[in-house]
Amino acid sequence: MTRWYPKNGRVIFHVDMNSFYASVEAAYNPDLKGKPLAIAGNPEERRGIIVTSSYEARAKGVKTTMPLWQAKKLCPELIVMRPNFERYRKASSEIFKMMAEITPYVQPVSIDEGYLDITDCHEQGSPLEIAEQLQAKILNELDLPCSIGIAPNKFLAKMASDMKKPMGITVLRKRDLPQKLWPLAIGEMYGVGEKTAEKLNKLDIYTIGDLVGSDLFQLKRVLGINGERLQNRAKGIDSSPVDPDAIYDFKSIGNSETLREDTTDDNVIKPLFRKLSRKVSVRLKRKKVVGQTLQVMIRYDDRKTITRSITQSNFLEEEDEIFSLAYDLFEKHWSGDPIRLLGVTVQSLVEKKEISEQLDLFSYQKETKNEKLIDVMNKLTSKYGKNIFQKSEVQEDRSQPRTSFQKDFLDDYRK
Amino acid sequence: MRFVVQRDLLIESIQHVMKAISSRVTIPILTGIKIEASKDGIKLTGSDSDISIESFIPKEEDGIINVEEIETGSIVVQAKYFPDIIRKLPLKTVEIVTDDQFQVTILSGGSEFHLNGQDAVEYPQLPVLHTDNSFELKNDLLKELIRQTVFAVSTVETRPILTGVNMRLENDQLDFVATDSHRLASRKIPLSTENDQLDFDNIVIPGKSLAELNKIIDDNEETIMISVTENQILFQTKNLYFLSRLLDGNYPETSRLIPDQSKTTVLTKTKELLQAIDRASLLAKENRNNVVKLQTKANNQLEISSNTPEVGQVTEEVTTDTIEGEELKISFSAKYMIDALKIIQEDRVKIEFTGAMRPFIIRPMDNEQILQLILPVRTY
Repeated sequence: MTRWYPKNGRVIFHVDMNSFYASVEAAYNPDLKGKPLAIAGNPEERRGIIVTSSYEARAKGVKTTMPLWQAKKLCPELIVMRPNFERYRKASSEIFKMMAEITPYVQPVSIDEGYLDITDCHEQGSPLEIAEQLQAKILNELDLPCSIGIAPNKFLAKMASDMKKPMGITVLRKRDLPQKLWPLAIGEMYGVGEKTAEKLNKLDIYTIGDLVGSDLFQLKRVLGINGERLQNRAKGIDSSPVDPDAIYDFKSIGNSETLREDTTDDNVIKPLFRKLSRKVSVRLKRKKVVGQTLQVMIRYDDRKTITRSITQSNFLEEEDEIFSLAYDLFEKHWSGDPIRLLGVTVQSLVEKKEISEQLDLFSYQKETKNEKLIDVMNKLTSKYGKNIFQKSEVQEDRSQPRTSFQKDFLDDYRK
Repeated sequence: MRFVVQRDLLIESIQHVMKAISSRVTIPILTGIKIEASKDGIKLTGSDSDISIESFIPKEEDGIINVEEIETGSIVVQAKYFPDIIRKLPLKTVEIVTDDQFQVTILSGGSEFHLNGQDAVEYPQLPVLHTDNSFELKNDLLKELIRQTVFAVSTVETRPILTGVNMRLENDQLDFVATDSHRLASRKIPLSTENDQLDFDNIVIPGKSLAELNKIIDDNEETIMISVTENQILFQTKNLYFLSRLLDGNYPETSRLIPDQSKTTVLTKTKELLQAIDRASLLAKENRNNVVKLQTKANNQLEISSNTPEVGQVTEEVTTDTIEGEELKISFSAKYMIDALKIIQEDRVKIEFTGAMRPFIIRPMDNEQILQLILPVRTY
């Protein structure tokens, strides 16, 4: 089978679930199949926007982030459901388990996409066979469609998975680039957003092919180091590895929420800070990390957004500490204008087991209340080895996280 | 104003007053050095309004002439240039002349500088302390008090009062205490004074002031006069006048936080312990808080260890004189321990522990005047 694999170089898969949330819902309730379906936040609130939609809905012009009323206008028969994160989480975890059966080199990117490095998997078949088997398995066992891109690196694999949806398998080799990749509009390129596309258009770069032929010096002047990276990718060069631990390299944990109405009312603001602090605290504990920097985000009614942070010597983890610090910081920096959104983030995180805490002369007596317990634990630990004790898990927070924090879901696929 | 002065004396005086001068002051003239010539000698002044220092060069001292050809007057010169000029002049003497346009002429051998000065009338008047609330100490003893405590003041402004050293007078004992809330250093000395009026408790001197003072005063047995008012403290020697603002606020009560009983007592050689901790800390520098672990073993052995997974690990065995009481395993900052042991001159120290989560006390053996306290580190 080795003849299907390059002598030097890698074989990378990018697996992308097709309209994931909608597909999961359809798998739970087959009546929904073939119908225009959208998953949206609470319809009665401002955040009632389309999170994802089925291909049938997309055919009518329904798009992600579109407000619900607009989608309904385009597609009156649209079925709208609220997100059901527990279901998605479970499905995601199953999918990543299937990937992990092929190779340990699985890098989850979000709840519904991931990379695999199958360079050393020639015993399992050709890349195409492995992809077909994986796609079939996900479809047969979970009733979920996906697209898979096969390429010599992550960037090309990502571009390839995008080329045929749903249920596509696309091989993108370097020699295919002039026909398959370079004619695409520059905005289609992974890593090029609206702003970057505008800047590139000003340099007369409209397709990915234009980027390949553009002047590196000029690119760097406009986009900095990222300009060079983008050009390399367009040429088919991307050496970034499939890193199974990348998902764990989170630097911060934060929650934010848009208010029902713009407000200056402390009776709304304070409870929201309390709620956000609680969520952040729960997530910190779930991940067993703590951080020393706290950031508060305030978005005003004119969409102007400020962030302010404070770093302190002790580690943040408890809801009360986070709340009081966040609220102080807010009071110090709030202009008094109506607020649209508030966010609380704990940054520069470290794993709890890696840190030690310097006790304080003025508060140590508070800490000594568990002294006897800790003493017994230490004695037993030294007798029976590490890890005989695990702090009992915090009560799982069943509230539904907002979409930007989906990565938390991916922690446990390897368990 | 005009005078000719011994250059090395002028340099020394400049160095003293420069300790008080900062480039970041609210009153611009405070970036300068005030020079006053009187018939008795030359006086230099520097101030950042928190600390003010006056250094006096007497015209004549022990029969040696320091300053000649004095014409009285005063001027303020820029501290940015004046010290370097004086330091680099060619001869052992320097002549300084001012005119009524506040131009300063500096002459030494073949070199001649003209420097723009400012009218000394613009320079703020230093407060004159009228108080009998004074006592005297020997220079070397004061330096010891400072050296043994000031390192423990807080360097962050989260609790401003902790950036100072607390000076207390109780039962004929003068007590200096400093803590950054992670360790505490205290030094007591007996103070007998005839001054019945002497009265202060709980004053807090900025740590920075004491650190600067320590650099200026000589290590000898001459006396220094210390005067205290409500918001200032003055240290005065024959030729030096050092005035510092005091910190506002109440210093926290620390004595009740110091454990008065011991569960594990270790008696050991100071230097040997210091060196062992110093070596163990070599690998601990990478980890937060610079943590080392101390563990009591049989046969009066102490084990000091540190483990930084990415770097490596180290174990140090120290043979102590005695270990009494319960077994103990405790983690703490190597830096705090090193700081504490460094200021102990005695050969042997006594360390008293009351548990892995409680502060422990380090004292020189048979010397109750010095007390160092360190809060341990909790490892998860």
